[in-house]
Amino acid sequence: MSAADRARSAATGLDRSRVALYLVLLAMVAFYLAPLESGLMTAFKTPEGFRTTTPFALPPIGEFTVSAWGMAFERLSSGLLNSAMMAVPATVLSALFGSLAAYGLTNLSWRGQIGVLMLFVAGVFIPYQAVLVPLTQFWSFVDLGGRIPLAFVDEYQGLINLGITHVAYGIPICTVLFRSYYATIDEDMLEAARLDGASAATIYRRIVLPLSVPIFAVTLIYQFTQIWNDLLFAIVLVSDPSNQVVTVALNQLQGSFVQQFNLQMAGAFVAALPTLVVYVLFGEQFAKGVAGET
Amino acid sequence: MAQLELDSVTKRFGEGDESVLAVDDVNVDIADGEFLVLVGPSGCGKSTTLRMVAGLESITDGEIRLGGDRMNEKRPAERDIAMVFQSYALYPHMTVRQNMRFGLEESTDLDDDEMDERVEDTAELLDITELLDRKPGALSGGQQQRVALGRAIVREPAAFLMDEPLSNLDAKLRSQMRTELQQLQDDLDTTTVYVTHDQTEAMTMGDRIAILDAGELQQVATPLEAYHRPANRFVAGFIGEPSMNFVEGAVDGDALTADGFRYPLGESVAAAVDGSANATLGIRPEDITVDGSGSLEGDHTFDATVDVVEPMGDENVVHLSIDGGPQLIATVDGLRRIESGTAVTVEIPEEAIHVFDGSSGEALHNRSLDDAELDDRRV
Amino acid sequence: MSSGIFAALIRDTGGSVRSDGPDVDSDAAGDEASDAEPRVRTDGGTVVDGAGERSGSADAEPSLRSRFRRSRFLESIPFWGPPGVLVLFFVYGAIGWNFVISLTGWEGLGSPDYSSLSTEMYTQLLADSSFHAAFQNTLVLLFAFTVLSLVVGLLLAILVDQKIRLENTFRTIYLLPMSLSFVVTAIFWSWMYNPSNGLINELLRAIGLDALTQAWLSDPQFKLAAIIFALMWQFSGYCMVVYLAGLRAIPESQYEAARIDGASTTRLYWRVIIPQLRASTMSAAVVLVVFALKAFDFLFVLFGVNPGQSADILSVMMYRVAFDRVQWAYGSAVAMVLFAMALGVIGPYLYLQYRRGEL
Repeated sequence: MSAADRARSAATGLDRSRVALYLVLLAMVAFYLAPLESGLMTAFKTPEGFRTTTPFALPPIGEFTVSAWGMAFERLSSGLLNSAMMAVPATVLSALFGSLAAYGLTNLSWRGQIGVLMLFVAGVFIPYQAVLVPLTQFWSFVDLGGRIPLAFVDEYQGLINLGITHVAYGIPICTVLFRSYYATIDEDMLEAARLDGASAATIYRRIVLPLSVPIFAVTLIYQFTQIWNDLLFAIVLVSDPSNQVVTVALNQLQGSFVQQFNLQMAGAFVAALPTLVVYVLFGEQFAKGVAGET
Repeated sequence: MAQLELDSVTKRFGEGDESVLAVDDVNVDIADGEFLVLVGPSGCGKSTTLRMVAGLESITDGEIRLGGDRMNEKRPAERDIAMVFQSYALYPHMTVRQNMRFGLEESTDLDDDEMDERVEDTAELLDITELLDRKPGALSGGQQQRVALGRAIVREPAAFLMDEPLSNLDAKLRSQMRTELQQLQDDLDTTTVYVTHDQTEAMTMGDRIAILDAGELQQVATPLEAYHRPANRFVAGFIGEPSMNFVEGAVDGDALTADGFRYPLGESVAAAVDGSANATLGIRPEDITVDGSGSLEGDHTFDATVDVVEPMGDENVVHLSIDGGPQLIATVDGLRRIESGTAVTVEIPEEAIHVFDGSSGEALHNRSLDDAELDDRRV
Repeated sequence: MSSGIFAALIRDTGGSVRSDGPDVDSDAAGDEASDAEPRVRTDGGTVVDGAGERSGSADAEPSLRSRFRRSRFLESIPFWGPPGVLVLFFVYGAIGWNFVISLTGWEGLGSPDYSSLSTEMYTQLLADSSFHAAFQNTLVLLFAFTVLSLVVGLLLAILVDQKIRLENTFRTIYLLPMSLSFVVTAIFWSWMYNPSNGLINELLRAIGLDALTQAWLSDPQFKLAAIIFALMWQFSGYCMVVYLAGLRAIPESQYEAARIDGASTTRLYWRVIIPQLRASTMSAAVVLVVFALKAFDFLFVLFGVNPGQSADILSVMMYRVAFDRVQWAYGSAVAMVLFAMALGVIGPYLYLQYRRGEL
């Protein structure tokens, strides 16, 4: 065998293994997308269509319909609105608190801060079940609507309770995300600012905060997804149907239209739409948030 | 008037058994306008000392005075000092102009026009005017270095503190900046403390150098004094490249002896070592004469074999073994051909030797050659 | 991208200790750092907690030094104080409160009676066969789900790490399920598992394996396995991200060195690369365990409060007992068991990190 032959066969061997590699990768793509793709196809089918065709197949002519989407949207629209009203401020607040805490526990070093930090970190891993009963007790005791005579508070009491709860339980993970970023800030630079005469608050406002834009993006995106997706806190803390968030509404839709798979699938997509859009646009930031949660 | 005084300054990290003594009773008086280089190996406490002066580290014991005022309790911003960091520590999201203005905005009552004027003047001085509206990320290392300097200069402080400001530059730029910094300091005439681990920087830049080891001040002296009249073995070994040769031996009447090595001492040197049982002989590589012709003779000549020759261009660094005795490093002219393995004669001239106490390392005798010159210099 | 919170914390200690910890000197230039004498900074795990102004012995001006230290502490309070209070109250206060409630006999309407506390609920738990089943299922779920996700995630990460084209696209797709709500994925998977029209059974029929088709979500034999598989689908992409970060942290030269040593690809990964991913595995496993403990939403959407004994897990049981049967104290006791399980995983992990000086 000549050297050239050997090189060629090595090359084809390489090619073959590359082809195999891409085949496996594509198979995995199919695996991860199959439930979504089947759902999407089903959502466009009539009941006759999804009973008679394979789930992942395109809707056959005559069995194509968008009526399921219209109905799903109608059923979920108030939930979508409520979720947005609650999730956006809660996300911003928990990120802000996380940023402040991380700054105080990372860039301002003081003795014993590791202990305080531990309490924040451990908070990331708390199973929410362990706080559910006291939470319901607490919010019924606080009774915001009864105490604060504002129409707004009265109307959205459930959502306000839920939002504050999400802020509190979001702080630990936000702190951890910000801390890992703040730890990479050049210590010398902050000391230079101190020598320049800036106070801790000025350093935060004029140096740390402007430098935090990338990690704010990561944290906001990750935290928004987490809050939007939650079901447990929502079913426990929100009893008023007019304050229902979208995950609860979707769960009810699923429970009340048991055999209408097209409606269920359309509903799932409608409810997931904001997070899907965020994910498609900011997948990189989401991945960083995920890696930070590890 | 900004004289900087370090009076018995001590820093201890940790408490109780775990504590580490980082800086131990350091005393230095730095005159107004003086350029003092604080030099030593890593971990010697020089940066800690600088950070105590800056107020970034608390002072365990002792006092630091600037222009006669006690600094210990003052916050960094109140001390009227500016610091240049090794990493430059520029604010990446601000332009050069904003970087330089930041300190003025936070620590002075100047109005906008005055601040702008100061920034522009300083930029001109450093030749960075055209960089003013760029951000640090768009600058080269050398340019960032200048901006870091500018940020310190613009505040017109009573003292500059510099923590290895040149060590992130490549060799060529470093030597260029070395000269420039010296000129700048001459012009501004501001008291400066400059920390480095690089003995070349120490030798070339400072009015005086302070050598630290293991938290203790070894010597404060002019560069030449430290080179020719080291206070102890540590300073002798630290200053100079290649390093001074040391032969550890015993004092035997009027000679110094080691395994296979006997060095006769003249009267005055013998008197100086009298009373020490052990002593270390020190000789700088350039003071050793290497002769291949066999014509060298005398009490202070030894037969030796060349082990390795490192040609450096301008000089050859010759690693030698005295037959049956210690190993030495000598430097000879770069044009001389010396092969490894050849037998040579080396002379260790008595007027060039240093002798250190075997246990304490204190200098018992320093070379005599340059006494007159150094004395002149001191006046 | 770090391989996790704890990796993040590791990096961090370098930062925070640098200025204030007892590193004797921080002046080593880059090229010099390697031969620098051992500095407390690099190996002083235990001193990290002194990141504040640790200063001298008791005899040297204590008031001054403590003032210095206190000022940094006071300065930092406005930043971490308010969020700290929220966390302290909502997390730790609530858990404590939950424990107290679990010691009462509170059920139904009305308020808990805090005057007589006993461990009655826990005694009841031990005798409750549905608790035994839920506990056992939880353990099976934890273990199988964690191991399965880690293995799939690792394989994916290794494949994605082969300098492939469109790497970002592949990564994005693999991680996509993680961005979805449990409510959404549960609905998708209930359709996937549908006995007559679901994709799983359709595929089995298509390749002639009709015999293997099952009523996946109603047959007690397969319920739990079906749940674990779906959860793996949702979270293996997450493991991939963690492992990929770990792989990227291994210098290229190690692959090259192993190749030159003649190691085959399999042996290269098995003997050189995978052993170095221990930190990634540990942190990913911890998070997976916590996800599994929280998997309530997924089961709740599929089965409501009654998944049946073969798929019941503690988080669902807790909700059922407390919010469906309004046996608050009993539910709180189940929640404490869940909390203890989480603590059993997190506690040693945090402690280990702390001891290694990586916190």
